[in-house]
Amino acid sequence: MFSVLATIIQAQTAESKQPVYTDNASILHHMSDALHQSLYRVLSLLIAVLPGLLAFFVALAVFTFVGMALSAILRHGLGWVKFDDRLTRYRGSGVDWTPTNSPTAIVARVSFWGCVLLGMVIGVSAFDASYATAASLPISLLPYLTHAVGAILLLIAGTLIARFLARSVLIGAVNAQLQYARFLSLGVKWLVLVLTAAMVLDHLEIGGAVVELAFGILFGGIVLTLSLAIGLGSRDLVSRSLESRVDRIDRNVEVPPPATGGPGETLRHF
Amino acid sequence: MATTNSMAELQTADNKPAGRLLVLLIGAQTAQVEPLVGNLSAALPNEELILAVPEGTATEQQSKLRFVDLPASKPSWILTAADFVHALQLAQKNEAHAILMLGPEAVSLEAEGLARLARAASMPGIDLAVPCYALPSRGGLVNSAILYPLSRALFANRARFPLAVDLGVSLRMAERLGAAAQKLVSLHQGDVPMWVVSDAMVGGMKIEEIDAGPRTLPQPGEPDLNTILPFVTGSLFSDIEAKAAFWQRARVSPPLHRQSAIASSVVDGSTEVASMLEGFRLAYENLREIWGLVLPPNAMLGLKRLSTINGAAFRMPEALWARIVFDFLIAYRMRTINRGHLLGALIPLYLAWVASHINTIAAGDDPERHIEVHAAAFEAEKAYLVARWRWPDRFNP
Repeated sequence: MFSVLATIIQAQTAESKQPVYTDNASILHHMSDALHQSLYRVLSLLIAVLPGLLAFFVALAVFTFVGMALSAILRHGLGWVKFDDRLTRYRGSGVDWTPTNSPTAIVARVSFWGCVLLGMVIGVSAFDASYATAASLPISLLPYLTHAVGAILLLIAGTLIARFLARSVLIGAVNAQLQYARFLSLGVKWLVLVLTAAMVLDHLEIGGAVVELAFGILFGGIVLTLSLAIGLGSRDLVSRSLESRVDRIDRNVEVPPPATGGPGETLRHF
Repeated sequence: MATTNSMAELQTADNKPAGRLLVLLIGAQTAQVEPLVGNLSAALPNEELILAVPEGTATEQQSKLRFVDLPASKPSWILTAADFVHALQLAQKNEAHAILMLGPEAVSLEAEGLARLARAASMPGIDLAVPCYALPSRGGLVNSAILYPLSRALFANRARFPLAVDLGVSLRMAERLGAAAQKLVSLHQGDVPMWVVSDAMVGGMKIEEIDAGPRTLPQPGEPDLNTILPFVTGSLFSDIEAKAAFWQRARVSPPLHRQSAIASSVVDGSTEVASMLEGFRLAYENLREIWGLVLPPNAMLGLKRLSTINGAAFRMPEALWARIVFDFLIAYRMRTINRGHLLGALIPLYLAWVASHINTIAAGDDPERHIEVHAAAFEAEKAYLVARWRWPDRFNP
């Protein structure tokens, strides 16, 4: 009886030992399976997307060459028919076009970049199509790319506007003989650049409320700093500049000069 | 080929053919019309005068004197494109053989000067009669610094005031100017000035310069130099750009016959000079990068040397000023930088020239001689302008 019990206990022990050995192998096996499957999925996706990527570069290259050919043909053709001269005569003015900005050059340049842009759109569309068929989730790359392009355009426009405004303020302030002209110009430039950066990040939907809050604090801080610097720190300087400006306006008010020169003659530019 | 006889003796009244002379009194007030009419009637007794005056300012009609309404236009201190359009329309409607255009404040013209101008306008052989005003030594500085030297160097004409506010034009000259003005009016640019001297030279018209004596030149409604100088200079640069095919040929301006247009006087301008030089040095520190985009290294070096000179010793060399103006003209054409910025950056340089001019006058030099020397420098540097115009990227000393 005892031997039967021992046999039963040994069998149970053996049975209880066997499942431990079986779970370890199963976990490793499952893990290995998971890794293999994910690797397979990613590689499959990559393989599926590669043709689209290749199609993008091929489309871009082909249309770039087409653009170059079209640009050359247009340049030669318009030069042969004397397009610039005909346009000048038609406009009735004797404006001498500069060599780099003649109508022919502009048409050729526009046609080239138009073809490049078309190639990019076609390539992105092909890439997007191959990605959509390969991926299980219906994610389209095109909207994000358009957002990115829009953000780049925003950045370029903002930079150009910042430089234009900075230069305008600099020249205006120098002609008004303001000593802090360069400081004012830099302040305007950075204000516009900060605004542009905030708009770009918002357009790309990066940061969300954090960006908005940071921009508000930074922009308000810059404006407050400029106001304090000009209003309080440069109080005497501003009042002297304004007084000298008023004096200049008073001197330029029409005072008929004597017919011949004499002391106290007013300076008249016209 | 246009010819110019400065200060030629005019024919007597007996030799002038009777005809209709259209006189436009632009911007004249009611109280100013009567003395002007009196002077004109005395100067041209044989001429039938048609007076175009602003509505409501006409005086009593007389024989050989008829009033017509001048169409309303935007008030201006110069003769604008709209004025020339109205002049041509009225001349054709009233069958006038010549036109005399008198700008604002024409009542300040002396009777003799007005008479000379009126007689020149009605003479059959003259297409354009341009007055030469006798101004004080510190008057008409933009004209002395930029307008006259450029007009003389490029169009080979010594008309002292190419942007005159009083003009005598023949009917054929009026037709030419009216056609050009109509294009500007149709582009909604009716308030831009017309550069009649260059138009006359390009059209092969005969130009006569008349001694008009002293005159109070009308001042711009907006007295800010920062607005007016870019407006006038930009208009002149555009005109020069449009007529590039004409002035690139070598031409010689006729010899000078007129008397001095500017009275010589010794006036202490040390306060104004100090202010202008301070502005110039401030501009040199802050606008150096912008000037460097427009001016070649030689000119920048010249400006650097000038920025270290103070007070009465400040003198801008004639050749340097001529090249600066030409470089800005080139940059205007090439659109190197925004045109508004370009002309704004010219203002401190112009004020530096004014400071130099005041110093020259204060030292006792004849102001007219100084201006003529500058104008001669423009003529001498014309080859520089032509070379840079034709090869802007290759020729940049």
